[in-house]
Amino acid sequence: MRPENYQARSHPPSHEYELFIGPNHPGIEGNYAFKLRLHGDRVIEGKADAGYLHRGFEKLMEGRLWIQNIALVPRICVPDPVPMEVSYSLAVEELCGLEVPERAQWLRVLQLELSRIAAHLFTFGGHASTTGMYTNMFWGVADRDRILDLFEELSGGRVYHIFNIPGGVRRDVPPGFLGRVAATMDYLESRLPDYDNLFFRNQVLVDRAKGVGVLDQETALELGVTGPNLRATGLAFDVRRDDPYLVYDQLEFDIPTESAGDAYARTLVRRAELVQSIRIVRQVIERLPEIPGPVRAPIPNPLAWKVPAGEAYTRVESSKGELAWYVVSDGGEKPYRVHVRGASMMHAVQVLEHLARGARIEDVAQIMFTLDACPPEVDR
Amino acid sequence: MNQGSRELQVWLDDLLAEIEQVEMRRKRERRMRLDVDADALPTLLELLKGKASYVHLSAITCVDWIAEGEFELIYHVWSYETQSLISAHTRIPREPGRYLSVYDLYKPAAFFERDIYEMFGVYFEGSPFMEKFILTEWDGPPPMRKDFDSEAYINQFFNWQEYRPDWLKELEAQGGGIAIPPDEQRYSRRED
Repeated sequence: MRPENYQARSHPPSHEYELFIGPNHPGIEGNYAFKLRLHGDRVIEGKADAGYLHRGFEKLMEGRLWIQNIALVPRICVPDPVPMEVSYSLAVEELCGLEVPERAQWLRVLQLELSRIAAHLFTFGGHASTTGMYTNMFWGVADRDRILDLFEELSGGRVYHIFNIPGGVRRDVPPGFLGRVAATMDYLESRLPDYDNLFFRNQVLVDRAKGVGVLDQETALELGVTGPNLRATGLAFDVRRDDPYLVYDQLEFDIPTESAGDAYARTLVRRAELVQSIRIVRQVIERLPEIPGPVRAPIPNPLAWKVPAGEAYTRVESSKGELAWYVVSDGGEKPYRVHVRGASMMHAVQVLEHLARGARIEDVAQIMFTLDACPPEVDR
Repeated sequence: MNQGSRELQVWLDDLLAEIEQVEMRRKRERRMRLDVDADALPTLLELLKGKASYVHLSAITCVDWIAEGEFELIYHVWSYETQSLISAHTRIPREPGRYLSVYDLYKPAAFFERDIYEMFGVYFEGSPFMEKFILTEWDGPPPMRKDFDSEAYINQFFNWQEYRPDWLKELEAQGGGIAIPPDEQRYSRRED
């Protein structure tokens, strides 16, 4: 089945050539292809090509129970799974009118911020390796591992935690856990000067990343850019503050912005966000012991759980930008329709194609990594 | 929310209450649901974007209501000014499943419309990129439609294979192995 306006691509003129980056390439985040038309080392046009990671989550979820889907959702985006669990749970809770206990909300914030730190460390590593600095990647992955250790202790799973369920979280924190989180935060903070010297203030990075992939605020808004990429163009918008969920309105944090809108600015925004996330985690550690109560609202028998008919649209701020779930129930044991909107649906397709135009070959991978485009989110 | 944004919100609420083809419902703080006739939706979005600052298209969702023979299209738009999200719902007949693109208003629509065309077969007139994206090698019916049954498709085109390696047989001989046969584990095959 061809769409009605399909037209076969004409053969490129002789001074142009084509280059396929991906689907299996170190300069691409995940299995994703980016097809370039080049003149010399300048990109004339780039075409994103997804589908290598399509697992049909939305269809699968229609055939599974509300509670079973919790095991599926974190798999949509590997580096940052917690926002998926939380936003899906928020949608189901809105449909049922479930009140989440306050302690569970704080525990969710704790996980969300830890996940954000881990995802940002990963992204710095990606950006560094596309500019030839592999040490930073090793450091980032090693420090991310300390957060994965915390998640392992908390939930039993290092990457997929499946810890947030509709109604709250599965368990309370183990004894002594908050102390270990605090120690990890202190450690990460003590590492930041090293990261600055190695990476963020490194002249190699400054020369390579400044002025690359420049996105001005007007174009960013037009293309639907969200998250750190939007904040790097100077607009201080954050779902956590402007469309608050959980207990973010009780927390103090700044929304870092930069004005240049280039690859360097995007990475600097993420670095500043990491500092803010550490700040939030410390506030949670301070407040959590005072907050009593259960960590889970009572839910009906999860194997025969009929969620009232209705629809809900919930948004959270993931490390990549706006993440939203639209969930429809017809009153049955399974969702009637679920739709996930990941930030990368914009960043990895239209924004990447826009920024690649006129860029040089060696900057394409850098642009993709600084957009923090996560292909599994596009494919679903 | 500053004074100007609040005035804008009040003005928009009054205006929407007046338009006959629009049914308005406030779901909770920062969430509003509008039910709009299909022929009025593009104009409504133009109004929301041009006059009421709803510049961010968060998503377009398609829901297949097969019993009613309709597709529901939902446009989620967000305003950075008034910090609220409007979900504009509209319904189009399932056959022939054609609608207008809003690409000239919202650039992100191109992605969602392409996705909906691929997954549901709803064609958007005027959308710039409608070639296949995710399901490049798929020529069956649009898979997200409710009348596409994944399990029936698999049964038709693939063979089930029993997986019983030797090591499992040894375990079973000792009284171990998989306690519940895979067929009975599957919820979709449960009979009740």
